[in-house]
Amino acid sequence: MPFLSRTQIIVAVGAVLLAIYVLDLVRRRRLSEEYSLLWVVASVVIAVLGFSTPLLTWITRVLGVLGEASTVFAFGLAFAVAMLLYLSIKLSRLGWENQVLTRELALLRHEVEALRSAERRDRR
Amino acid sequence: MSGLRVLVIIPSHNEEASLPATLAEVRAKCPSVSLLVVDDGSRDATSQVAIEAGVPVVRHSVNLGVGGALQTGFRWALEHGFDVGVQLDADGQHDPDYLETLLAPVRAGQCDVAIGSRYSTRTGYRAPWHRRLGMVVFSGVVRMALGQRITDTTSGFRAYSRPVMQVCQHDFPKDFPDAPLLIALSRRGFRLVEVAVEMRERVAGQSFYTLGKQLYYPYKNLLASLMALMRRPV
Repeated sequence: MPFLSRTQIIVAVGAVLLAIYVLDLVRRRRLSEEYSLLWVVASVVIAVLGFSTPLLTWITRVLGVLGEASTVFAFGLAFAVAMLLYLSIKLSRLGWENQVLTRELALLRHEVEALRSAERRDRR
Repeated sequence: MSGLRVLVIIPSHNEEASLPATLAEVRAKCPSVSLLVVDDGSRDATSQVAIEAGVPVVRHSVNLGVGGALQTGFRWALEHGFDVGVQLDADGQHDPDYLETLLAPVRAGQCDVAIGSRYSTRTGYRAPWHRRLGMVVFSGVVRMALGQRITDTTSGFRAYSRPVMQVCQHDFPKDFPDAPLLIALSRRGFRLVEVAVEMRERVAGQSFYTLGKQLYYPYKNLLASLMALMRRPV
């Protein structure tokens, strides 16, 4: 398969290695399946673009991009943006849930302390 | 009937409409079992209707998903000395008439997990096409992984023995406790048995499977099934 540049080979191989690493993280339970989705899709798409020069040149022409390298970078950037947005959404939810839990815990602690002091008063 | 203590765990998320009937039906048909409602962060009166029915309720402050709710139920069952935990949907899909059928192989010591399946014999239920495709695919995945035929991997009507609950309280899928869970449990040496049951249409409330989840479901479960196979059983 004709590669356009050495960079393309490096990018393609790098993407494959990333995909393998992400899957291994899931296997070792360091990363949940949910978070692996975007990483796997991103690295597979980049790897396909990197290894299939005809597809890469075709997409570059259709999108009107000036160079093939830019297409790969554009896809990479798009995935990075998607990942960041996804993480922001998740982080927002975590923050909100954290608030709910903190509030619940505070209310429960108040309840326990009130019960304890009532118990102490009863004993006296 | 052997003296096993059975807890029916009902994970509930916004099920105020269907929960009272479900609780009453289990009580009427199976007076010997105990009930627990896990309110998974409902915004409606789910907890209140369960309390009014006199059933213990454990409430989650935030929504954890079906798996997370079940895990809470397992913890509760273990702490309260139950021998078997039964998962039963709040929406009335699962007929308590079949509870004894489901429990029989666990009571007899023939298996550790009994799965109430609506597909293993001819029953009236007919799922939408994408659900049926999913059934076939994941039934095939489980069959390839375990060499065992489980037709209904997504069934939410299951009985888990105490040793299974002991494992599951630490390690359980948070979202979809389906094919990957069955593979992981079987790889740990637990015996799975499928029992034919009839299921009904849901009475009220919303299905857990939204569109986004339906798209994510195949990816997650295929990957998790593969990982369950690749991980060394602990």
